[in-house]
Amino acid sequence: MSEKKYWNSLDQLNGDSTFVEEAQREFKSELPVEEFLAKDSLTDTSSSRRDFLKFMGFSISAAALAACEAPVTKALPYVVKPEEVTPGVANWYASTYNNGGGFASILVKTREGRPIFIKPNNAYPEAMRGVSARANASVIELYDDNRYTGPLMNGEDTDWDTIDSDIAIKLKRIKAKGGRVVVLSSSTSSPSTRKVYESFTSNFSGSSANEAEATGDAEETDVMNKVNDAVVYYDAQNYEGILSANQDDFGVAALPSFDFTKAKVVVSINADFLSSWLDATANSKGYVQKRNPDNAWMSRHFQFETNMTTSGAAADVRGAIKPSETGEVAKMLYNAIAKKAGVVTAASGSLANDDNDVAAKVEKAAGELWANKGAGLVMCGSNNRSVQQVVNAINNLLGNYGQTISMSKTNNLYNSNSGLDGLIADMKSGSVDALIIAGANPAYSLPGSMGFEEALAKVGLTISLADRPDETSTLCGYVCPDNFFLESWNDYQPYTGVYTMAQPTIRPLFNTRQAQESLLTWMGVDANYYDYIKSVWKTSILSGVADQIASDDAFNRAQQKGVYLITNTNPEPQYVGNVLNAAKKIGVSTGTWEAQLYFSTAIGDGSQANNPHLQELPDSVTKISWDNYVTMAPSDMLENGWETRTAQETPANLVTVTINGYSVNLPAVASPGQKKGTIGIALGYGRSVSGPTGQTGQNLYGSLSFENGTYSYSASDVSVVDAGEKYQIASVQTHHTMMGRKIVNETDFVTFKQVDKNDEVKGWNKDVKLLDAFGRDTPVKEMNLWDDHGIELGHRWGLSVDLNACTGCGACVTACHIENNVAVVGKDEIRRTRSMFWLRVDRYYSSDTTEENAKESGKGVMDMYADMEIPSDYPEVVFQPVMCQHCNHAPCETVCPVAATTHSEEGLNQMAYNRCIGTRYCAANCPYKVRRFNWFNYNKDPKFTDINPSQNDLARMVLNPDVVVRSRGVIEKCSFCVQKIQDGKLVAKKAGRPVQDGDVVSACASACPTNAISFGDLNDSKSKVRADFDNDRAYFMVEEVGTQPNVSYMTKVRNRKA
Amino acid sequence: MRLLSELKGKLSFSISLLSIFIFLSGNVQALDGEKLFKANCASCHKIDKKFIGPALAGVEDRWESQENLYAWIKNSQDYLKKNSGDGYAKSLFEDYNKSVMTAQALSDEEIAAVLDYINNPPVKEEKVEEVAAAPVQAEDYSVYWLIGLLIVILVIIKVLMDVKSSLKQVKAGVTGETISDVGPVAQVTTWMGSHKRTTAALVLLVIVVGSVDLWFDAKGIGVYEGYSPEQPIKFSHKIHAGDNQIDCGYCHGSAYKGKTAGIPSVNVCMNCHKGISEGKVWGTEEIAKIYDAAGFDPEKQQYTGDEKPIEWIRIHNLPDFAYFNHSQHVVVGKQKCQTCHGEVETFDYPMKQHSDLTMGWCVDCHRETEVAMEGNAYYDKIHEELKERYKDKPIKNFTVEHIGGLECAKCHY
Repeated sequence: MSEKKYWNSLDQLNGDSTFVEEAQREFKSELPVEEFLAKDSLTDTSSSRRDFLKFMGFSISAAALAACEAPVTKALPYVVKPEEVTPGVANWYASTYNNGGGFASILVKTREGRPIFIKPNNAYPEAMRGVSARANASVIELYDDNRYTGPLMNGEDTDWDTIDSDIAIKLKRIKAKGGRVVVLSSSTSSPSTRKVYESFTSNFSGSSANEAEATGDAEETDVMNKVNDAVVYYDAQNYEGILSANQDDFGVAALPSFDFTKAKVVVSINADFLSSWLDATANSKGYVQKRNPDNAWMSRHFQFETNMTTSGAAADVRGAIKPSETGEVAKMLYNAIAKKAGVVTAASGSLANDDNDVAAKVEKAAGELWANKGAGLVMCGSNNRSVQQVVNAINNLLGNYGQTISMSKTNNLYNSNSGLDGLIADMKSGSVDALIIAGANPAYSLPGSMGFEEALAKVGLTISLADRPDETSTLCGYVCPDNFFLESWNDYQPYTGVYTMAQPTIRPLFNTRQAQESLLTWMGVDANYYDYIKSVWKTSILSGVADQIASDDAFNRAQQKGVYLITNTNPEPQYVGNVLNAAKKIGVSTGTWEAQLYFSTAIGDGSQANNPHLQELPDSVTKISWDNYVTMAPSDMLENGWETRTAQETPANLVTVTINGYSVNLPAVASPGQKKGTIGIALGYGRSVSGPTGQTGQNLYGSLSFENGTYSYSASDVSVVDAGEKYQIASVQTHHTMMGRKIVNETDFVTFKQVDKNDEVKGWNKDVKLLDAFGRDTPVKEMNLWDDHGIELGHRWGLSVDLNACTGCGACVTACHIENNVAVVGKDEIRRTRSMFWLRVDRYYSSDTTEENAKESGKGVMDMYADMEIPSDYPEVVFQPVMCQHCNHAPCETVCPVAATTHSEEGLNQMAYNRCIGTRYCAANCPYKVRRFNWFNYNKDPKFTDINPSQNDLARMVLNPDVVVRSRGVIEKCSFCVQKIQDGKLVAKKAGRPVQDGDVVSACASACPTNAISFGDLNDSKSKVRADFDNDRAYFMVEEVGTQPNVSYMTKVRNRKA
Repeated sequence: MRLLSELKGKLSFSISLLSIFIFLSGNVQALDGEKLFKANCASCHKIDKKFIGPALAGVEDRWESQENLYAWIKNSQDYLKKNSGDGYAKSLFEDYNKSVMTAQALSDEEIAAVLDYINNPPVKEEKVEEVAAAPVQAEDYSVYWLIGLLIVILVIIKVLMDVKSSLKQVKAGVTGETISDVGPVAQVTTWMGSHKRTTAALVLLVIVVGSVDLWFDAKGIGVYEGYSPEQPIKFSHKIHAGDNQIDCGYCHGSAYKGKTAGIPSVNVCMNCHKGISEGKVWGTEEIAKIYDAAGFDPEKQQYTGDEKPIEWIRIHNLPDFAYFNHSQHVVVGKQKCQTCHGEVETFDYPMKQHSDLTMGWCVDCHRETEVAMEGNAYYDKIHEELKERYKDKPIKNFTVEHIGGLECAKCHY
C-alpha cells in the first residue's frame, strides 16, 4: 500500500477548521423543525401548552377513529388483456437510445405496459456495449409533463387533419413555384430516416428535378447536390474538424471507429474519450478491457488536457496544457515520431510555462508509441481541421490505421454540419421557403452572432418536429410533435455493418406522431413508418437475402434482438494527407486566460437538461450538482483571493467570465489538475425554454465561435473578473467524509506484477492486522466483537468494485435511483448535505509524492511525509463507488433501538422502513456514511414539486412497483437490489434449478458500462464475484474496523513505469 | 260382477299400461331430440335466441319445404350450390357473415326428433328465488343505539334529579325548614371522599378494562378480516368454482406466474359467457354487465368495441411496504389457494376476506409450513446445509423459518 495522502476536497486537505468540525457530524445542519412543522399560519397563532394537549388528544382519537374506516380500493382489470402481459411480471423489449450523439443499444423493462428501466442489450457487440447515465435516466423523460401533447399551429392547439392539410397546401404551393424546402436535423445514423429526408426533400425540390432527368449527367449531380443541400445536419456537439480532416486525408468525410482492445499505448490530446468524446460508452468499454492488470499486458494511457476530466483521471501519465497548445502538442508528438521514422518534421514551437513537464511527457509518449507501432492510438479533441490532420499523420506514421483505427468501419453517429452556414445565409436572403426542424435546437445552441432567429423569421413555412418545447420549436409556426423514442420505430447504423432497431415500448402517451410519419404524410405517402423501415431494409440492408421468407425472418429477428450485424468487407481507404501543409496552418492565439468548454457526463449537450435525475447526478470530477460553474486551478483562485472550498458555510465567489465578448456570471470552483491560467465551463446548461429543471445554470453556447460548420470549444479571448457576489453551490464530496481513514488502495503495474501483495517492504495490498490484547499481530478477521453470522446457508450476496475499471461516469448512480425509486432532492437539500444517494461515486485526489519516488529522490522520511501533504497542482484522481457495504458485523445494526435494521442469512443488511422510527443512530454509526434520512415527504412536499418525479401523476408511472416509496422520517440505503435478488431466486425456484451467476444482477452492476461492478453469490464457487473476492487485488474498505463487509474493492493499478 | 270388475281392472290396467307406453314412447322421442340437439346443435343454436346461428324456434315455418330444410341441415353448402335460387337460404348465409353451418350427419328421423324437441321445448322450471339469504351486510347500528340509549338515560337521570330537588324545595317550603342546596357533583365527590377504597378500586377497574379493550381494539385497526364489500357485479365463487368446478387458475392464472393473482380480464369471462347469457340466480341482469363492459351485443352476437373496465372493489389489500408474491407460494411453496383465501368455492356473493392478513398471521404460517424442497434442485444445496446445521437438534422438517422466511427483507423492501 503506497502511503500517499488522499483528499476529497481542498477543505479537507487544508485541515480547514469548519470542515473538521462539520466532518465530525453525520448530519450537519440543525434540525429543520420550523420548516416542516411551522407553516405560516401556525406561527401566527399563540397556542399554549394546554391547547397543544387538546389538539394532541383530539388528533389521537380522530386518528384512531379514522383508522377503523376501511379504505375502498378499486381494482380495474384489463377488458381484453394483451397476451404478452402478465400483471406483476416484467417484459423486456430491445430498442435503441440515441440522443445528442449518445448512443446505446438497450433493453427496456416494462411493467404492465409502462417502461420503467433501461439496461444494455446483450445482443450488441460486447466491446461497445453499455448504457451511460443519460441513456438509463432517459426513461423518465417519457413521462415529462412538459412534453407537447398535440400539434400546434401558431401556438394554438389543433388536430392532425387540420395541420396536415394546411401544411400540405403550403408545401404544394412552394413546389409549384419551384421553391426550396429544407430539412434541418440533428445527426442521424438511421438509414430509413435519411431515406425519408431524401425522398421528402427531392419530392419538394421543385421543377428543376424533373428537368434534370431529361438533360444530362452534369446537371444530375447538380440536383443531387441540391438534395444534399436540402438536408442539413446540425449538432451542438459536432466533429467537423475530424470529418473535414478525413475528407482531405482519406477522401471520405467520416469518423473512424476505434479498437481499444488492440491499443497498447493510448494518447489523447484534450479528448475526454471516456465521458464525452465520440461514442464514449463504447470507448470506455473497449479501453477498460485492456486496463485489467491481471492480463498479460495493460495499456499505457497518456492524457494531455486542460480541464481535469475522467479520462485524465484514468490516465497513467497526465500532462496539463492550455487549449491553445493542443495543436502544438500534436505537432511535437508528430515531430518526435517523425524523427524516429526518419521523415521530414514540421515546424513547431515550444510550450510556454510548461509547469507540468509536458514536453518530456510528449517525448516519452512518442517513444512508447514508436515502440508499439500498429498498437497505438492517438486521439485529439480539437475541432480544428489542421490539428486533426496532424493527428491523422501521426496515426498513419505509426501504422495504426487498419489496426486500432478503422476508416472502413466508420462511426456514423455524427454527420457533417458543413451545410449550416450556407443554410443560414440562404434563410437570411429569403431563398428558403420551408424549413422543417427535426431533433436540432439551433436557437439554443448556436451563438447569437449566427443570427439564426432572425434568419428563421424570414422563412415562410417553419415546422418543428420536437417532442417537447425548446428554444427553436417555440419560434416555429407549426409544431408537429414527434413521439418519444420509447414510443417510436426506428433503425440505426451506428457503425458500418452494425445495425440496431428501436421499437415502441408503450403507445404514444399524447397526441403525437412519429416525425418520419409526418414527413411521409405530407409527401402523400400513405405508409406507416414501420412498413417504410421494412421496405428500406428489404431493398438495401437485406437485399442480399434472396428468399422472401428468410428476409422477413431476418427483419423480425433484428427487431426482436434489436441488433443486426453484417461483416464489414470494405477496404481501408488510402492515406493521402499532406501533414506539413496542415501543420503550417495551425495558428496559435494565446491569452492571459484561456477557456476550454466541455460536455459533462450528466447533462451533455443540454437536450436532456430537464431531467432531474441528471441534474442531481454530481459531475464526475468536481462532484457538484445542479449548476454549471467555472473550474479553475486552485493556485489561480488563491491569487485572486477567491474561495477554494465548496462547503455550504463557504459559498463560492461569483465571477464574470467574458468569452469572445459573451459574458456570464458563474461561481468559480477550484479544480485541482486544471492547467494554470485556464478555465473550464460545462455547456448544456441554462436552457431558456424547457421545464423548470432544465433552466438550471448558464448557457455558454453563445460564447462559442462557429465557422464552416465547426464549433471551436476553446477560446483565448477570455477575461475573468470578480463579480463581487457569493454564490451557494451544491457539492457532495464534502459530505460524509471518511475521516481521513485509508479507503482507496493503489499501486503501479510493475510492483503489482513483481511484488507479493504482503511483501514486508513493498507489499501493495497487505492483509490488515491489528495488535491483540497480548500484543500479537492478528488478522482483523479473527478479532471479533460479535458472534459470526451463519452466512454459509444458501446464498451470500456480494459485490465487488474494480477501481481499475471505474471511470467515474455515474451510470450506476442513475440506474440505482431509477430502480429503487430514490427521491430527487434538489440543489437546496444537497447543499445542506441531505442528499439521498444510495450509491455515490467518491472522487479522491492524491499527491504525486509516493514512498517510492521519494526514496529515489533521496528524501528523508520526514521530508517525504511532509511532501505528501503538499497539495499537488496536478494531482492524480481516483474514483470509488460507495454503496452500503452490507457488513457481516454491521455497526448500524447494533445501535438501532427498534431493530429496524438487521442481518439476513444471505448476508444482507436489511432495512425495514416501516419499523424505523428515525433516531438516525445507524447513520451516525456507519463508517461508510451510506445511510440516508428522509427529511421530507419528497413525494408530497411542495418544496419538491418541480424536481421530484414522483410528485406528478404522469411521472409517477416510472416508479418501480416492486420497491416501496419511502416516507418522511425513516432511514434508507442500498438494499443490494433485494427485489432483484428475490426475483432471481424465484425464477430459479420455479424452474427447479440452482441460481446461476448472472441470474441476479444489481441495478448498478447491470448499468456499469465497464463492468467495474460485479454482483453475485459468494457461496457460488463459479461466480465472478467470488473470483474477485479471492483476487490478490481485493481489499475491504476500512477493514481494520472489523465490519467484514460483503463489498470488496479491487486495488487500482496504474501502468506507471518506475 | 266379479268378471266385470276383473275386466274393468284389466281394462284399466291395459289402459294405464297403454297410456304409460304412449307416454313413454313419446318421451323417448322427445328425449332423443334433446340429446341430439345438445350434441349437434347447441354449440351454435339456441331455441329462443339468436346465438352463433339463428334461433331455431319456428324454423320449420320459415322454410318453404321440409325437404329443403332437411337438405340444408345435412349440408348447407351443397344445398346453396344446388338451389342457388333459394333466396331465403342465400340471405341466411349472408346474414350470418357467410359462416358456414357445419354439415350434420343426421338421418331424417333424427332431424325430425330434433325439430320435434324444438317445437316442444321442456317447460322451464319456475325460477326458485334462492337468493339464499343474500348476505347484505347490515350496517352495525349498535353503536348508535348505545349512544342514543346513553343520552336517554342521562336525560331521565337529569329530569329525575330535577324533580327530586324541586320536590325537596316544595317540601322545604311546606315544612319551613332550610336545606342546603347540594348539587349532584358535590354529592358524588362527598360520596367518593367517604368511600376512598371503593373509589380507587372502581377507577382501577375502569383503567384496566379500558386498557384491555383499547389493546384489542387497536389490534384490530387496519385488519379487515371478513371484509366483503358490494361489487359492481354479483359474482358468486360458489357457482363458478364450486358448482361448475372451474379451476382457480382459469381466471386467476397470473397467480402461477407473478406477484398478483389478478382479477380476470373481461375477455376471460367472455370465453364462457358469450354462450351463457343467463344465470340461475340473477337471470340476465348480472351477465349483461359483463356484456356491457366487453362491448358485446348479445342480440347481434357482435363486439361493438365500446369497452369499459369493470371497477371491482379490491378485497385483499396488503400495505405498500409488504411485498407478497403469489407464484412463490402457489408454485414453489405448493400452497392451495384455500390456505389463505378459505373455501372460496363455497363463498357465494359477495366474496369476503377470509384471513386477517396481518404480519402475525404470515409469520405463524412461515413458522409452521414445511418447505417443499423435494424435487426442486434449487433447494438441494440448502437442504444439505440445513441438515448439517441442525444435525444435533431434533428437527426433521425444515419450515420456511429455517430458510430465513422470517427475515425483514424477505417481504419488506
